[in-house]
Amino acid sequence: MVLVVLRRIGVFATTVVVASIVTFLMLSILPGNAARIALGVQASEADVAAQATLMGLDRPAIVRYLDWFGHVLIGDFGTSTVSRQPIGPEITDALGITVILVLTSVVLALLFAIPFGILTAVRQRKPDGAILSGISQIGVAVPGFLAGMLLVTVFAVTLRWLPAGGWVDPGEDFGGFLEHLILPAIALGSVQGAVLSRYVRSSVLEVMREDFIRTARAKGLGAGRALFRHGLRNAAVPVMTVLGLQIATLLVGAVVIERVFSIPGLGSLLLDKVALRDLPAVQGIVLVLVVFVLALNFLVDLAFTVIDPRLRSAT
Amino acid sequence: MTVPTLSVNDLRVASPFADLLHGISFDISAGERVGLIGESGSGKSLTATSVMGLLPETLTATGTIRLNGVDADLLTAPERRLNQLRGTTMAMVFQEPMTALNPLMRVGTQVAEIMTVHHTETGRRQARQRAVELLALVKLPNPAEAALAFPHQLSGGQRQRVMLAMAMANDPLLLLCDEPTTALDVTVQAEVLKLIGNLVTERGTALLLITHDIAVVAEVCQRVLVMYRGEIVEDGPVGRVLTAPQHPYTQKLIAASDLSSVDDRGRLHTMSMPVVGRPPAAVSAPRQIHTDAAAAVIRPPHRAVHQRLEPGDPPVIFNEVTGAPAISVRDLSRQYRRRGGGLFATAPIVHGLRDVSFDVAEGQRFGIVGESGSGKSTLMRILCALDQPTTGTVDVLGQPIAGASERHLRDFRSQVQIVFQDPMGSLDPRMKVRDIVAEPLRNVNRAEALARVEAQLNAVGLDADVMNRHPHQFSGGQRQRISIARALITRPRVLVADEAVSALDVSVRAQVLNLLADLVDEYQLTLVFVSHDLGVIRHLCDTVAVISDGRIVECGPTADVYDSPLHPYTRQLVSATPSMHELARRVAP
Repeated sequence: MVLVVLRRIGVFATTVVVASIVTFLMLSILPGNAARIALGVQASEADVAAQATLMGLDRPAIVRYLDWFGHVLIGDFGTSTVSRQPIGPEITDALGITVILVLTSVVLALLFAIPFGILTAVRQRKPDGAILSGISQIGVAVPGFLAGMLLVTVFAVTLRWLPAGGWVDPGEDFGGFLEHLILPAIALGSVQGAVLSRYVRSSVLEVMREDFIRTARAKGLGAGRALFRHGLRNAAVPVMTVLGLQIATLLVGAVVIERVFSIPGLGSLLLDKVALRDLPAVQGIVLVLVVFVLALNFLVDLAFTVIDPRLRSAT
Repeated sequence: MTVPTLSVNDLRVASPFADLLHGISFDISAGERVGLIGESGSGKSLTATSVMGLLPETLTATGTIRLNGVDADLLTAPERRLNQLRGTTMAMVFQEPMTALNPLMRVGTQVAEIMTVHHTETGRRQARQRAVELLALVKLPNPAEAALAFPHQLSGGQRQRVMLAMAMANDPLLLLCDEPTTALDVTVQAEVLKLIGNLVTERGTALLLITHDIAVVAEVCQRVLVMYRGEIVEDGPVGRVLTAPQHPYTQKLIAASDLSSVDDRGRLHTMSMPVVGRPPAAVSAPRQIHTDAAAAVIRPPHRAVHQRLEPGDPPVIFNEVTGAPAISVRDLSRQYRRRGGGLFATAPIVHGLRDVSFDVAEGQRFGIVGESGSGKSTLMRILCALDQPTTGTVDVLGQPIAGASERHLRDFRSQVQIVFQDPMGSLDPRMKVRDIVAEPLRNVNRAEALARVEAQLNAVGLDADVMNRHPHQFSGGQRQRISIARALITRPRVLVADEAVSALDVSVRAQVLNLLADLVDEYQLTLVFVSHDLGVIRHLCDTVAVISDGRIVECGPTADVYDSPLHPYTRQLVSATPSMHELARRVAP
């Protein structure tokens, strides 16, 4: 077990390094001179050259990469070419917001998908099961930003129950924080929840046909008890796979939702920095986003090992 | 008169489309061991699931099922009452030891659960303690440790013992076993059957044992019910039914099961009972057996030397052929790296085959027999160039195939053809039969290909109008005929069959074996027949190699190996697969 966890950590660390190389390369092969981009089109050749030296662009790529990644590892993302301020703190603040938003929406999605999926599976042959199943089908088809705008229209504009956007720090005003969190988290989580509930449903349906459920019934467990005692953990395995895949989609969704609700998260920050052509910042944010996805996937992998003993042995 | 433990009266089960059980009635007395035998689709399992009240929702059952001491009719009893009875008064062991246990729960917990659910043990701890005792009772080695194992850490036989421990936990009056040993190796099967027999005898449990295998019934039961198309056609003591079956179906079933008895043409007895619900076009056409001089096979004079592998001795070249053998294997080893090595751990090496050397003469019918994990499938795959050996050489028809590239193997592929075990899985469900059979043909125009497909289908006993159908429209036996037609269309010289009849019912098995025997003669094939079933190999093959733990441990003429096995493992194997005569002798009163 320990060995397996260590190996997963090793794999995680390796992927992070690979991801950093890819991120670095992608931004370095972008056309145009980073120094000129930083100074603008009107800058003189001499200024550009000076800026390039300042940014260390005259050094070989491998040195620049090691320098950048080495500093990133100790939390130093470099200096913005626009604001001349360190990028690190900006990223950390925004990351905190995005993490809260994404995790809340994952939790909401799960809270919706698991009971809903089980219900539609168990009531499969009944009319209410079919109706519920149809509802989740619609949920899959609605894009997150649309859900967000609808939520704003109903709850913020018409009913005036919740704010339409913005962000409050939880340390400042926890009630306000929740008020500002709830709509975007629902908007972000609803689509994932609908998709996930489809998988929960098919997974539960599949598990209900398994031989070990029949064994459990033969032992004298009622249908519901057999499903809860033996079925759900087994049904969780394929659902977790989907959840892992969805995480990347969630982050993409977060970029859009943060815009819709004007939340100063990583997504908003990334779009701002792209607009400002602040390359060091963009590079740092992209890396953080990638590592965030990898870290969540790592957690999903660990959860797999906890759920399924067959994955625990080293063989 | 005493009240029977189980009394089934006029049980009828129907789906919305058809009647599946046509009113069956039988009693089982306390402590009686009854076998229920029949082929797939005869309604055996439906009978057991009806008793347990676990029929699929889409089926409806009428009649009465009564258990001694239970005032309600099981068919109409409320679900709550049934939940109380299942696992206490009646318990069931299922066929699939792989999937019948929850893969995510320790087996001790699963055994303990049946006691906590019914509150037959006062607490969780006591139930766990009792589970360990039960695992000891079913003779699981290190029961305390085994209780902490997950199902995937146990072998098939061990898992079936766990199932049995679970079923016996609350001392049921009635134990239902549905093909409890079908998925197990023959030697393991013998042990598990003995255990079931001992447990129910000791405790006076009534047993209903469902199986397709007469040998299993003879091993354990006193009485046997024979089921055919949803009816019980015969009911009597095992000894009597085995030696003097009354109903024509039973007579034919027993004749077809007997691979040691053949008719005056050297063919197995087949069953010609009417078949219902199948398209008339798919009924076998009468086959013409060529008897002209060209087809008369001159059997090679080669006769295998009966040899065994002595411990510590250098590897033996079994069945060594002088001249040019059809297949020549020397010092063949195959190692696998077990999956899961990767970043920090080196994967352990598994020896699939170790230093295997043997020949197969042209025209020989060479059987390879072994249990699961013995290496027989690995050997088969290497012979067909579907896998590569780690070391050693394999020459087939004079061509070295170890390490050969796929381009060089093109000719080989048309010369060596394979028939696989699973007639369901080995045919592409989306292809028509004519395309499946024609697929191995290369450089042949469409019209000629179709003509050859038609001729080949006729040769395996199928009408030409099956060509436009898809595999799912055929029965298992017919699908296996299609597989054989597909294998023979390139006019191969070597035919490799991997458990080719293992998935078939007894009656169909006899037909397919007869067909294979005819075709091998007709096409002068060299046959390599891989199987776990010594009986099948004994009937079909002139020479047999026994493989165990990656080595051939014994090889020789089939009759010699069967009658006077040299290696202890072969002896074990032979005694676990008794012939019908042997069975009849054993159950004789």
